[in-house]
Amino acid sequence: MPFQKQKLDSKLALVVDDSKMQCMMLSVLLKEEGYEVITANDGACGVAKYIEYQPDLVLMDINMPIMNGYEAAKQIKNISQGSLAPLIFITSLDSDKAFIDSVEAGGDSILVRPFTPEVFKAKIKAIQRIGDLYTQVKNLQQEQQKDEELAEQLLNGVIGARNYALDKIGIVKKAAAIFSGDIQLSVLCPNGDIHVLLGDFTGHGLRSSIGAIPLTTTFRTMTNKGFSLLEIIKQINEQLYDLLPANLFLAASFVCVSSTHHSVYAFNAGLPDTYIYSNNGKIKHRIQSQHPPIGVLPQLLPHSRLDVYSVEEYDRIILISDGVIEARNKAKEMFGSERFEKVVSESDFSQNIAVLIMQSVNDFCQETEQEDDISIIDIPCNIFTENNVEDIFSQPYFDENYEENIDENSLAINMSTDHQIITANDVLSTPAIWKWQLLLSGSRLGTVNPIPIAMSQIQAIEGSGEHWHSLYTILTELFVNALDHGVLELSSALKNSPEGFVQYFNEREKRLEKLTSGYINIKLSYHLLASGGRMLIKIKDSGKGFAVLEKFKNNSLNFTQNNELSGRGLELVNQLTETLEYQDNGSLVEASYIWNQ
Amino acid sequence: MSIKQQISESNNQVIIAIENNFDFSLHQHFREAYSHCNTPKTDFILDLSHTEYMDSSALGMILLLKDHADNLGGQVIIKKPSDTVNKILEIAQFHRLVTIEK
Repeated sequence: MPFQKQKLDSKLALVVDDSKMQCMMLSVLLKEEGYEVITANDGACGVAKYIEYQPDLVLMDINMPIMNGYEAAKQIKNISQGSLAPLIFITSLDSDKAFIDSVEAGGDSILVRPFTPEVFKAKIKAIQRIGDLYTQVKNLQQEQQKDEELAEQLLNGVIGARNYALDKIGIVKKAAAIFSGDIQLSVLCPNGDIHVLLGDFTGHGLRSSIGAIPLTTTFRTMTNKGFSLLEIIKQINEQLYDLLPANLFLAASFVCVSSTHHSVYAFNAGLPDTYIYSNNGKIKHRIQSQHPPIGVLPQLLPHSRLDVYSVEEYDRIILISDGVIEARNKAKEMFGSERFEKVVSESDFSQNIAVLIMQSVNDFCQETEQEDDISIIDIPCNIFTENNVEDIFSQPYFDENYEENIDENSLAINMSTDHQIITANDVLSTPAIWKWQLLLSGSRLGTVNPIPIAMSQIQAIEGSGEHWHSLYTILTELFVNALDHGVLELSSALKNSPEGFVQYFNEREKRLEKLTSGYINIKLSYHLLASGGRMLIKIKDSGKGFAVLEKFKNNSLNFTQNNELSGRGLELVNQLTETLEYQDNGSLVEASYIWNQ
Repeated sequence: MSIKQQISESNNQVIIAIENNFDFSLHQHFREAYSHCNTPKTDFILDLSHTEYMDSSALGMILLLKDHADNLGGQVIIKKPSDTVNKILEIAQFHRLVTIEK
């Protein structure tokens, strides 16, 4: 059906001229070029027909009654914003002014009478070529926008939606393009700590989010498996270095909020200062960038370490991306860190501070176009108050008979009244279904964290499950005790004050670095029960032992005081295990953990 | 054009000066300012004394320049960054990667 095809392909032209003769002449030429033509004899009528027919091309006379060509062109260009219907002025006014006015009014070209039909047709072809290009660009743009929106939805689903404690941690982000190069992550560790990351990839838009998925996956997986924050940062750095081109990298601030120690571990690589505010609006700590952005160097700089800060219940940790500091207003002034600090110090700390900061940035910038992604994370340090881990400490849990169980060399406590007391003989009567052992010695003690290795062995054999979370805590606490108090001979008395805790941590780092001798041997054996199973844990260290009896008794008295900074680990283990026994002056610990299906 | 480039053949130096804003829009020009200098042991002096602002993509461009210099066995020296620019270099801890002369 050739007729219909012609109809679909044909384009529509609108000729606006008060001379009917001119209209007719132009119509004939246009039809020869394959256009269908409608006409109007004054500017106002031309605008009306433009609205009604949405033509592909407009030819416009200048001098007309009711509304002249300039005014009509202006109105048409106003209506057609976002789509290009080329508009050509046809005139006998051969002056510079006519030419300039035509362009000012929005005309795409001008054709001065008299002209030959060939010149006219050439002009139409040229202008149509531009129109076609414009349409192509527009279609591409729309397609790209659709793709980006889809990808953005997917990314958001992967990244933001699975964050931990979204009800308590305030996260605000505002992207400069559809895609944000900023990433915000919060993940719960097996031991109850929380890892938080605010990252800012170079630039913004799609190209800056290439690294987002590997970053998110690594951060979540390693946190879930129980790796320490520094180990995770090392891994992410190597990964992004391998993955991304040299000019793409990640400025990021990492925070680990400890659930039991009133402390925060932080690492800032290339972001503006991360802040710790006390609840009266004073800055307690300013965590400055101490390392080039992640993914710049093949490995983290030697001696890279987390800094530790002591915090109180109502303190707030605030992480920001440079989009906050560098947001500009109309006068090209930056929001700046001084304004930021003022806003926070004057904020109502019962509110989500991230939201308050964002409002203030918006007020400052007004309608100015946003140049960079903006992200703010607000972590209240009392995030754990409703957490199970904390609850354990507020319960009275010591049995009256407990003191009587103590003898000179060993201390065995049975905490759980639900289970029968199991003696060593009972355990031996059910043979282990598997055993596992790892002996770490010398410098490897400082560089290898055996707990994730042990956990992955356990889960590889027995499958994963919630019940291993407690075991993770038990192993970590016992291992850390063996390392800190056994091998490194650190005194936990240091940890009794917030400042001491920091000191303790620094001393620990120092001794770990120099460590060349000593060992810790971890033995696990797993025994099946009618439902569930029992894990026997034996950890022996090379140390001289530490005053565990003294310590344990002291701690047991102090446990009800929530502010006690040391001894909590052991008490926690006590709560989670079936039996817990220290021998050889504390250099050997045996524990058993039981779980029911 | 806000990039000025000056090559001194005798002492193997390429000076690149950036005026006003150092951002992604300069990407192409910036690359062209050094990519054809393939003389071994060339040092690249990046004069940022007239740079008012730089963004993270500029940091990325400096890293690309550093790669180029490393391959030639030369080095990148950033000269006289303005306060604003220096703050950004500081946050990114770039003094650990390249020489910054104030």
